[in-house]
Amino acid sequence: MKHAMTAAMLATAMTFAAGAALAGPKTVDGPGYEPKCFVPWNDETAYFQWEPREGPFKVAVVNGFVGNIWRIQMIKTAKAYVEKEDVAPLISDFKVVSTGTDAAAQLGAIEDFINQGYDAIITIAVSPTGFDRVIRLANRNNVVLVPFDNVLDTDEVMQVNEDQYEMGVMSGEWLVDHVGHAGKILEVRGLPGNSVDRDRHEGFRSVMEGDGNDFEIVEVVGNWAPGDSQKVTADALAVHGKFDGIFSQGGTNGTVQALIDAGHPFVPMAGEAENGFRKQIAEHSKEGLLGLSYGQSPGLVAISIKAALSALQGETMPQLISVPIPVVNFETVEDGVNYWSNLPDDFFTPNDFPPCGVTITAPEIMAESEANN
Amino acid sequence: MKTLRFAIAHNLGLVLAIGLFVVLYAIYVSMHPNYGMNVVLQNGNEALALILVGMAQTMVVLIGGLDLSVGPLMTLVNCFGSIVMAGTGGSIVLGVIACMALGAACGFMNGCIVVYGRIQPIIATLATGAIYLGLALFLRPTPGGRIDGDFAWAFTNDINELGYTYGWWEDLGWFGLIPLQPIYLILIVVLVWLPFRRTATGRGCYAVGSSEAAAFMSGVKINRCKLTAFTLAGFFAGCAGIYLTMQIGSGNADAPQAAEYTLRSIATVVIGGTSLYGGSGGVIGTIFGALVLRSISFIFRVVPESSALGFVASPLLQPFFEGVILLIAVSLGAARTFRVRNRLSLFT
Repeated sequence: MKHAMTAAMLATAMTFAAGAALAGPKTVDGPGYEPKCFVPWNDETAYFQWEPREGPFKVAVVNGFVGNIWRIQMIKTAKAYVEKEDVAPLISDFKVVSTGTDAAAQLGAIEDFINQGYDAIITIAVSPTGFDRVIRLANRNNVVLVPFDNVLDTDEVMQVNEDQYEMGVMSGEWLVDHVGHAGKILEVRGLPGNSVDRDRHEGFRSVMEGDGNDFEIVEVVGNWAPGDSQKVTADALAVHGKFDGIFSQGGTNGTVQALIDAGHPFVPMAGEAENGFRKQIAEHSKEGLLGLSYGQSPGLVAISIKAALSALQGETMPQLISVPIPVVNFETVEDGVNYWSNLPDDFFTPNDFPPCGVTITAPEIMAESEANN
Repeated sequence: MKTLRFAIAHNLGLVLAIGLFVVLYAIYVSMHPNYGMNVVLQNGNEALALILVGMAQTMVVLIGGLDLSVGPLMTLVNCFGSIVMAGTGGSIVLGVIACMALGAACGFMNGCIVVYGRIQPIIATLATGAIYLGLALFLRPTPGGRIDGDFAWAFTNDINELGYTYGWWEDLGWFGLIPLQPIYLILIVVLVWLPFRRTATGRGCYAVGSSEAAAFMSGVKINRCKLTAFTLAGFFAGCAGIYLTMQIGSGNADAPQAAEYTLRSIATVVIGGTSLYGGSGGVIGTIFGALVLRSISFIFRVVPESSALGFVASPLLQPFFEGVILLIAVSLGAARTFRVRNRLSLFT
């Protein structure tokens, strides 16, 4: 009896030890898998590798807030992506939940999926901190956790995002190229206090305030929403009269609408990737709306799922993945390719990432919408 | 037998809440692919802060008020906790005590404004809620802070893990699998709520909620009852803040989350069978009310989308179904008013 108990305890201890040994990814040397798609954030980005395992896998998306068009399109994109021919065989179960703004509920949902034996969990965190506990739990259970979009302030987990600072730099360079090195510029900012707003702003200013430039920049806050952005642009036009160029972080179609309403001539502009803005660029570029449209794509969810699946198969992955920024300008904008004249203005256009082999067309996403409603 | 019937009749709200919870949770358990103690642990983790905020709300509802500051107070204690609980060893214990004290002090302040300022609780706490959220934002303008990872991990886990993490004990068998969250809850109920319920002040709170005038005529110390109820509410909200801090390991002055907790706390109270008119019910019902609320969202995660019930799990329809089930749950609690012959019997 005593021996049996010792044996049982030994066995338990060994299982535990083995479990601990398996825990989480190993930090390895690069280069990583598909380096053109999974671009490391910078030279210091570490590389992770998990034990390869056999598919098909169980994958869950734990969304936080739901209720703006971007999030809804993100969910539809995720569903469309996992139905693709090359992805479907890798996935046995796919689940999406939205937990609202409650951190406990989001962490709980992640923990629940870990307990249910899911292999990978994709999430947009409701807060940049607070995930240490679930990261630990995920590592212990060998679950691949992938935060994207609103990423976490940690380097212990694989994350996916676009470089927001670079978007600001790009926009600044566009205005310098098309306005010149001096003039009066309107900057329409996003949600105050958000890291995305801060990074885009700093990137933009780094170019505009660089050597040889002499711009007068007027700053207003448009919250990334077309309505707000239209209102603050109209106010700025009423006060300042004329601008030589505009950078509108988001809700860009509202900014253009305000120009049209005020009878302001079209000027070079940089902004987000709303379908409405691209329609406007296509329509008014000959009248001077020299537009650049970059996109924080809801399609990031597809890249995140792809990253998770690659990690599960044992590929070497960068800890922080920088997804190439999808950009079009007034010369490359094309109906049916990177914007859709028959779709609503608030549809987010960039959904394909050729370096990653991820292309989800607008009709595919829209088809998901019908299935849901 | 007669006593049992009597007990059930007098706690119909509680019985309904327990019944509803058992049904919903049974659905969840039956569909969960790997049900075990770790799932109970996860459920406890997700539910405990809401339960505690609901208990805080119950205290104020019992005396016939409504407290809109419970969510913001939890958030304030979370931000405060992310600072004072950031050390290691004994300083964490001091931090936890400081957080409890802050919660109780803020609750006491609410009570003073209501009692001595003679302002309705709902208005007074609307104002103080804004103050608490403002202070929370002042302490943590951006989410941050980091409390000791081992502490956060061990004390939001089960008994075994607590031992492993600190090397206090080895595998304790089935006993070690018991999650800590129910233990915290039982401790709070046994050490705080049950003794309080038996005191003259505790009974006085029920009397004040039933009929303040009658209580006054009977010599109940109304001011003392109200102050105690608010202070206890603050204490419970503070405990919620402490647990949230351990759970997320950091502080976040999240205004939408504070508002959500306040609203949900009212729902947990109603589902738990405490009358919004005051004077009837208790925190035990609220615990089950909160569990009902959480069970609804648990189910969404286990319903296979391809099944007959799959449409319930559609991510875009989840808030809708959550609302519908909530409405049904609240209506069940209210339904008993239809069959009473004399409204007074609800409050006896």
